[in-house]
Amino acid sequence: MPVVTKELVPLLVQTGASARVAEEIPARFLPGDTVLARNVNPANHTRLPRYVRGKVGTIVMDHGVFVTPDTAAHGLGEHPQHVYCVRFTAAELWGGDASPRDTVNIDLWDDYLQPS
Amino acid sequence: MSHDHDHTDPPADIELRVKALESVLAEKGLIDTGALDELIDIYENKIGPRNGARVVAKAWTDPDYKQRLLSDATAAIKELGFSGVQGEDMVVVENTPDVHNMIVCTLCSCYPWPTLGLPPAWFKSAPYRSRVVIDPRGVLKEFGISLSDEKEVRVWDSSAELRYLVLPERPAGTDGWHEDRLVDLVTRDSMIGVGFPKSSADLHQQAGA
Repeated sequence: MPVVTKELVPLLVQTGASARVAEEIPARFLPGDTVLARNVNPANHTRLPRYVRGKVGTIVMDHGVFVTPDTAAHGLGEHPQHVYCVRFTAAELWGGDASPRDTVNIDLWDDYLQPS
Repeated sequence: MSHDHDHTDPPADIELRVKALESVLAEKGLIDTGALDELIDIYENKIGPRNGARVVAKAWTDPDYKQRLLSDATAAIKELGFSGVQGEDMVVVENTPDVHNMIVCTLCSCYPWPTLGLPPAWFKSAPYRSRVVIDPRGVLKEFGISLSDEKEVRVWDSSAELRYLVLPERPAGTDGWHEDRLVDLVTRDSMIGVGFPKSSADLHQQAGA
Protein backbone atom coordinates (compact mmCIF):
# COMPACT_ATOMS: atom_id res chain seq x y z
CA MET A 1 0.00 0.00 0.00
CA PRO A 2 1.49 3.40 -0.96
CA VAL A 3 2.22 5.60 2.03
CA VAL A 4 1.62 9.35 1.92
CA THR A 5 5.00 11.02 2.18
CA LYS A 6 5.88 14.38 3.69
CA GLU A 7 6.45 15.76 0.17
CA LEU A 8 2.96 14.76 -0.98
CA VAL A 9 1.11 16.30 1.97
CA PRO A 10 0.96 19.95 0.82
CA LEU A 11 -0.41 18.93 -2.58
CA LEU A 12 -3.01 16.60 -1.07
CA VAL A 13 -4.12 19.25 1.42
CA GLN A 14 -4.49 21.83 -1.35
CA THR A 15 -6.33 19.51 -3.72
CA GLY A 16 -8.68 17.62 -1.42
CA ALA A 17 -11.14 15.09 -2.74
CA SER A 18 -14.54 16.35 -3.83
CA ALA A 19 -17.52 14.01 -3.59
CA ARG A 20 -18.96 15.77 -6.65
CA VAL A 21 -19.54 13.50 -9.64
CA ALA A 22 -19.33 14.69 -13.24
CA GLU A 23 -22.28 12.68 -14.42
CA GLU A 24 -25.42 13.97 -16.13
CA ILE A 25 -28.28 12.90 -13.93
CA PRO A 26 -31.71 14.50 -14.22
CA ALA A 27 -32.83 16.49 -11.20
CA ARG A 28 -36.18 15.39 -9.78
CA PHE A 29 -36.74 18.72 -8.05
CA LEU A 30 -36.35 22.41 -8.86
CA PRO A 31 -35.79 25.35 -6.54
CA GLY A 32 -39.21 26.37 -5.20
CA ASP A 33 -40.57 22.82 -5.11
CA THR A 34 -42.16 21.61 -1.88
CA VAL A 35 -40.74 18.31 -0.66
CA LEU A 36 -41.25 15.85 2.17
CA ALA A 37 -38.19 14.39 3.87
CA ARG A 38 -38.94 10.69 4.08
CA ASN A 39 -39.62 9.22 7.48
CA VAL A 40 -37.25 6.27 7.39
CA ASN A 41 -34.98 4.82 10.04
CA PRO A 42 -32.19 2.97 8.27
CA ALA A 43 -29.64 0.99 10.26
CA ASN A 44 -26.90 2.01 7.79
CA HIS A 45 -24.95 5.25 7.53
CA THR A 46 -27.14 8.15 6.43
CA ARG A 47 -26.98 11.95 6.27
CA LEU A 48 -30.69 12.37 6.82
CA PRO A 49 -30.93 13.64 10.40
CA ARG A 50 -33.88 12.53 12.48
CA TYR A 51 -35.07 16.08 13.10
CA VAL A 52 -36.14 16.58 9.46
CA ARG A 53 -37.70 13.14 8.86
CA GLY A 54 -41.39 13.46 8.03
CA LYS A 55 -41.12 17.27 7.69
CA VAL A 56 -42.05 19.42 4.71
CA GLY A 57 -39.59 21.93 3.27
CA THR A 58 -38.76 23.90 0.13
CA ILE A 59 -35.89 23.34 -2.28
CA VAL A 60 -33.71 26.47 -2.29
CA MET A 61 -30.63 25.28 -4.22
CA ASP A 62 -29.61 22.39 -6.42
CA HIS A 63 -25.92 21.76 -5.65
CA GLY A 64 -25.44 19.25 -8.46
CA VAL A 65 -24.57 15.55 -8.41
CA PHE A 66 -22.66 13.88 -5.56
CA VAL A 67 -21.68 10.43 -4.35
CA THR A 68 -24.26 8.98 -1.95
CA PRO A 69 -22.64 8.25 1.43
CA ASP A 70 -25.43 5.84 2.44
CA THR A 71 -24.10 3.33 -0.09
CA ALA A 72 -20.49 4.48 -0.54
CA ALA A 73 -19.76 4.24 3.19
CA HIS A 74 -20.62 0.55 3.05
CA GLY A 75 -18.71 -0.23 -0.15
CA LEU A 76 -21.97 -0.50 -2.07
CA GLY A 77 -21.16 1.94 -4.86
CA GLU A 78 -21.27 5.67 -5.51
CA HIS A 79 -24.93 5.86 -6.55
CA PRO A 80 -24.52 9.47 -7.77
CA GLN A 81 -27.54 11.73 -7.35
CA HIS A 82 -28.49 15.37 -6.85
CA VAL A 83 -28.00 17.08 -3.52
CA TYR A 84 -30.39 19.93 -2.77
CA CYS A 85 -30.47 22.55 -0.06
CA VAL A 86 -33.89 22.26 1.57
CA ARG A 87 -35.31 25.02 3.75
CA PHE A 88 -37.52 24.07 6.70
CA THR A 89 -39.30 26.65 8.81
CA ALA A 90 -38.60 26.48 12.54
CA ALA A 91 -42.37 26.15 13.06
CA GLU A 92 -42.50 23.05 10.81
CA LEU A 93 -39.61 21.43 12.69
CA TRP A 94 -40.35 22.47 16.25
CA GLY A 95 -43.98 23.49 16.45
CA GLY A 96 -45.98 26.61 17.19
CA ASP A 97 -43.72 28.12 19.86
CA ALA A 98 -40.81 28.46 17.44
CA SER A 99 -39.89 31.78 15.87
CA PRO A 100 -42.17 32.55 12.91
CA ARG A 101 -39.16 33.81 10.94
CA ASP A 102 -36.32 31.39 11.60
CA THR A 103 -35.37 28.58 9.23
CA VAL A 104 -33.04 25.59 9.09
CA ASN A 105 -31.41 24.90 5.73
CA ILE A 106 -29.90 21.50 5.13
CA ASP A 107 -28.39 19.70 2.15
CA LEU A 108 -30.19 16.45 1.39
CA TRP A 109 -29.76 13.73 -1.24
CA ASP A 110 -32.51 13.16 -3.81
CA ASP A 111 -33.35 9.72 -2.34
CA TYR A 112 -34.25 11.30 1.01
CA LEU A 113 -37.02 13.36 -0.57
CA GLN A 114 -40.42 12.89 -2.11
CA PRO A 115 -42.78 15.41 -3.72
CA SER A 116 -45.22 17.01 -1.32
CA MET B 1 -3.17 27.90 34.45
CA SER B 2 -3.27 25.56 37.42
CA HIS B 3 -0.11 23.61 37.96
CA ASP B 4 -0.88 21.22 40.77
CA HIS B 5 -0.52 17.97 38.85
CA ASP B 6 2.40 15.63 39.50
CA HIS B 7 4.91 15.65 36.63
CA THR B 8 5.61 11.97 37.20
CA ASP B 9 1.98 11.11 36.31
CA PRO B 10 1.67 9.20 33.05
CA PRO B 11 0.08 11.12 30.16
CA ALA B 12 -3.71 11.08 29.80
CA ASP B 13 -5.33 7.95 28.36
CA ILE B 14 -6.12 9.61 25.05
CA GLU B 15 -2.50 10.74 24.59
CA LEU B 16 -1.24 7.24 25.30
CA ARG B 17 -3.73 5.75 22.87
CA VAL B 18 -2.71 8.18 20.12
CA LYS B 19 1.01 7.56 20.72
CA ALA B 20 0.46 3.77 20.70
CA LEU B 21 -1.54 3.91 17.45
CA GLU B 22 1.03 6.16 15.82
CA SER B 23 3.92 3.82 16.79
CA VAL B 24 2.12 0.71 15.56
CA LEU B 25 1.15 2.32 12.24
CA ALA B 26 4.70 3.65 11.74
CA GLU B 27 6.32 0.31 12.64
CA LYS B 28 4.07 -1.46 10.14
CA GLY B 29 5.08 1.08 7.49
CA LEU B 30 1.49 2.28 7.00
CA ILE B 31 2.25 5.92 7.80
CA ASP B 32 5.21 8.21 7.41
CA THR B 33 5.72 10.19 10.62
CA GLY B 34 7.28 13.00 8.61
CA ALA B 35 3.99 13.32 6.71
CA LEU B 36 2.10 13.51 10.01
CA ASP B 37 4.39 16.29 11.27
CA GLU B 38 3.87 18.15 8.01
CA LEU B 39 0.07 17.87 8.34
CA ILE B 40 0.16 19.14 11.91
CA ASP B 41 2.42 22.02 10.92
CA ILE B 42 0.09 23.02 8.07
CA TYR B 43 -3.03 23.12 10.26
CA GLU B 44 -1.28 24.67 13.28
CA ASN B 45 0.71 27.34 11.50
CA LYS B 46 -0.36 27.88 7.92
CA ILE B 47 -4.11 27.41 7.49
CA GLY B 48 -6.50 29.27 9.76
CA PRO B 49 -9.26 31.90 9.97
CA ARG B 50 -6.93 34.59 8.63
CA ASN B 51 -7.59 33.01 5.19
CA GLY B 52 -11.34 33.42 5.57
CA ALA B 53 -10.81 36.99 6.80
CA ARG B 54 -9.03 37.79 3.53
CA VAL B 55 -11.99 36.45 1.56
CA VAL B 56 -14.44 38.54 3.59
CA ALA B 57 -12.36 41.74 3.40
CA LYS B 58 -12.04 41.39 -0.36
CA ALA B 59 -15.80 40.87 -0.69
CA TRP B 60 -16.37 44.03 1.38
CA THR B 61 -14.20 46.14 -0.91
CA ASP B 62 -14.70 44.58 -4.34
CA PRO B 63 -18.35 44.26 -5.49
CA ASP B 64 -17.44 42.10 -8.49
CA TYR B 65 -15.54 39.69 -6.25
CA LYS B 66 -18.49 39.57 -3.83
CA GLN B 67 -20.75 38.67 -6.75
CA ARG B 68 -18.44 35.84 -7.77
CA LEU B 69 -18.14 34.68 -4.18
CA LEU B 70 -21.90 34.42 -3.72
CA SER B 71 -22.47 32.70 -7.07
CA ASP B 72 -19.48 30.27 -7.07
CA ALA B 73 -17.77 30.36 -3.70
CA THR B 74 -15.32 27.52 -4.42
CA ALA B 75 -13.86 29.28 -7.47
CA ALA B 76 -13.82 32.73 -5.86
CA ILE B 77 -12.05 31.45 -2.74
CA LYS B 78 -9.54 29.62 -4.91
CA GLU B 79 -8.71 32.93 -6.63
CA LEU B 80 -7.08 33.93 -3.33
CA GLY B 81 -5.16 30.66 -3.16
CA PHE B 82 -7.36 28.82 -0.67
CA SER B 83 -8.62 25.37 -1.65
CA GLY B 84 -8.50 21.71 -0.77
CA VAL B 85 -9.49 19.32 1.98
CA GLN B 86 -12.87 20.19 3.51
CA GLY B 87 -13.27 23.15 1.15
CA GLU B 88 -13.75 21.27 -2.11
CA ASP B 89 -17.33 22.53 -2.53
CA MET B 90 -18.06 25.82 -0.79
CA VAL B 91 -21.12 28.00 -0.28
CA VAL B 92 -20.93 31.55 1.12
CA VAL B 93 -24.05 32.99 2.72
CA GLU B 94 -24.42 36.73 3.26
CA ASN B 95 -25.67 38.44 6.41
CA THR B 96 -28.00 41.36 5.70
CA PRO B 97 -30.10 43.70 7.85
CA ASP B 98 -32.89 41.08 7.58
CA VAL B 99 -31.02 37.77 7.81
CA HIS B 100 -28.44 36.38 10.22
CA ASN B 101 -26.76 33.16 9.08
CA MET B 102 -25.12 30.59 11.34
CA ILE B 103 -23.39 27.31 10.57
CA VAL B 104 -23.54 23.93 12.28
CA CYS B 105 -22.91 20.32 11.32
CA THR B 106 -25.44 18.38 13.37
CA LEU B 107 -24.24 14.91 12.31
CA CYS B 108 -20.50 15.40 12.90
CA SER B 109 -18.24 18.44 12.78
CA CYS B 110 -17.86 19.42 9.12
CA TYR B 111 -16.12 22.77 8.82
CA PRO B 112 -14.46 24.73 5.98
CA TRP B 113 -10.78 24.00 6.72
CA PRO B 114 -9.06 26.02 3.93
CA THR B 115 -10.74 29.25 5.07
CA LEU B 116 -11.17 28.71 8.82
CA GLY B 117 -8.62 26.05 9.79
CA LEU B 118 -9.60 23.26 12.16
CA PRO B 119 -12.86 23.65 14.10
CA PRO B 120 -12.88 24.88 17.70
CA ALA B 121 -13.84 22.25 20.32
CA TRP B 122 -17.24 23.81 21.00
CA PHE B 123 -18.20 23.55 17.30
CA LYS B 124 -17.72 19.77 17.57
CA SER B 125 -19.52 19.45 20.90
CA ALA B 126 -22.90 17.73 21.13
CA PRO B 127 -24.56 20.67 22.97
CA TYR B 128 -23.73 23.16 20.17
CA ARG B 129 -24.64 20.73 17.40
CA SER B 130 -27.96 19.70 18.91
CA ARG B 131 -29.10 23.09 20.15
CA VAL B 132 -28.31 25.36 17.20
CA VAL B 133 -31.09 23.92 15.07
CA ILE B 134 -33.80 24.02 17.75
CA ASP B 135 -32.76 27.12 19.73
CA PRO B 136 -30.41 29.26 17.61
CA ARG B 137 -31.31 32.45 19.46
CA GLY B 138 -30.57 30.85 22.82
CA VAL B 139 -27.17 29.70 21.59
CA LEU B 140 -26.44 33.15 20.15
CA LYS B 141 -27.27 34.75 23.53
CA GLU B 142 -24.60 32.56 25.12
CA PHE B 143 -22.15 33.98 22.58
CA GLY B 144 -23.28 37.46 23.67
CA ILE B 145 -25.51 38.16 20.69
CA SER B 146 -29.11 39.24 20.93
CA LEU B 147 -31.01 39.61 17.67
CA SER B 148 -34.27 41.41 16.95
CA ASP B 149 -37.32 39.15 16.56
CA GLU B 150 -37.77 40.85 13.17
CA LYS B 151 -34.56 39.31 11.88
CA GLU B 152 -34.57 35.80 10.39
CA VAL B 153 -32.01 33.44 11.89
CA ARG B 154 -31.05 31.16 9.03
CA VAL B 155 -29.24 28.06 10.27
CA TRP B 156 -27.23 26.01 7.75
CA ASP B 157 -26.70 22.36 8.69
CA SER B 158 -23.68 21.30 6.62
CA SER B 159 -24.03 17.57 7.23
CA ALA B 160 -23.69 16.80 3.49
CA GLU B 161 -20.72 17.62 1.21
CA LEU B 162 -20.97 21.41 0.95
CA ARG B 163 -19.06 23.58 3.42
CA TYR B 164 -20.41 26.96 4.45
CA LEU B 165 -18.86 30.29 5.32
CA VAL B 166 -20.77 33.36 6.56
CA LEU B 167 -20.08 36.71 4.92
CA PRO B 168 -20.73 39.07 7.85
CA GLU B 169 -21.94 42.65 7.40
CA ARG B 170 -19.19 45.22 7.06
CA PRO B 171 -18.91 47.22 10.30
CA ALA B 172 -20.08 50.83 10.27
CA GLY B 173 -17.42 53.53 10.33
CA THR B 174 -15.04 51.72 8.00
CA ASP B 175 -15.75 53.63 4.79
CA GLY B 176 -12.67 54.01 2.66
CA TRP B 177 -10.66 51.45 4.64
CA HIS B 178 -8.18 49.40 2.67
CA GLU B 179 -8.76 45.66 2.42
CA ASP B 180 -5.62 44.92 4.48
CA ARG B 181 -6.98 46.96 7.40
CA LEU B 182 -10.44 45.38 7.17
CA VAL B 183 -8.92 41.90 7.51
CA ASP B 184 -8.13 42.68 11.16
CA LEU B 185 -11.83 43.20 11.89
CA VAL B 186 -12.95 39.78 10.69
CA THR B 187 -13.16 37.20 13.47
CA ARG B 188 -13.45 33.44 13.15
CA ASP B 189 -16.76 33.50 15.04
CA SER B 190 -18.22 36.09 12.65
CA MET B 191 -17.60 33.68 9.77
CA ILE B 192 -19.39 30.84 11.63
CA GLY B 193 -22.23 33.22 12.50
CA VAL B 194 -21.86 33.14 16.28
CA GLY B 195 -20.21 36.56 16.43
CA PHE B 196 -19.85 39.88 14.68
CA PRO B 197 -16.72 41.43 13.19
CA LYS B 198 -14.83 43.79 15.46
CA SER B 199 -15.76 47.46 15.23
CA SER B 200 -13.28 50.17 14.30
CA ALA B 201 -13.40 51.24 17.98
CA ASP B 202 -12.31 47.72 19.05
CA LEU B 203 -9.24 48.02 16.84
CA HIS B 204 -8.31 51.41 18.27
CA GLN B 205 -8.75 50.06 21.78
CA GLN B 206 -6.45 47.13 20.98
CA ALA B 207 -3.86 49.42 19.46
CA GLY B 208 -3.98 51.74 22.49
CA ALA B 209 -3.88 48.97 25.08
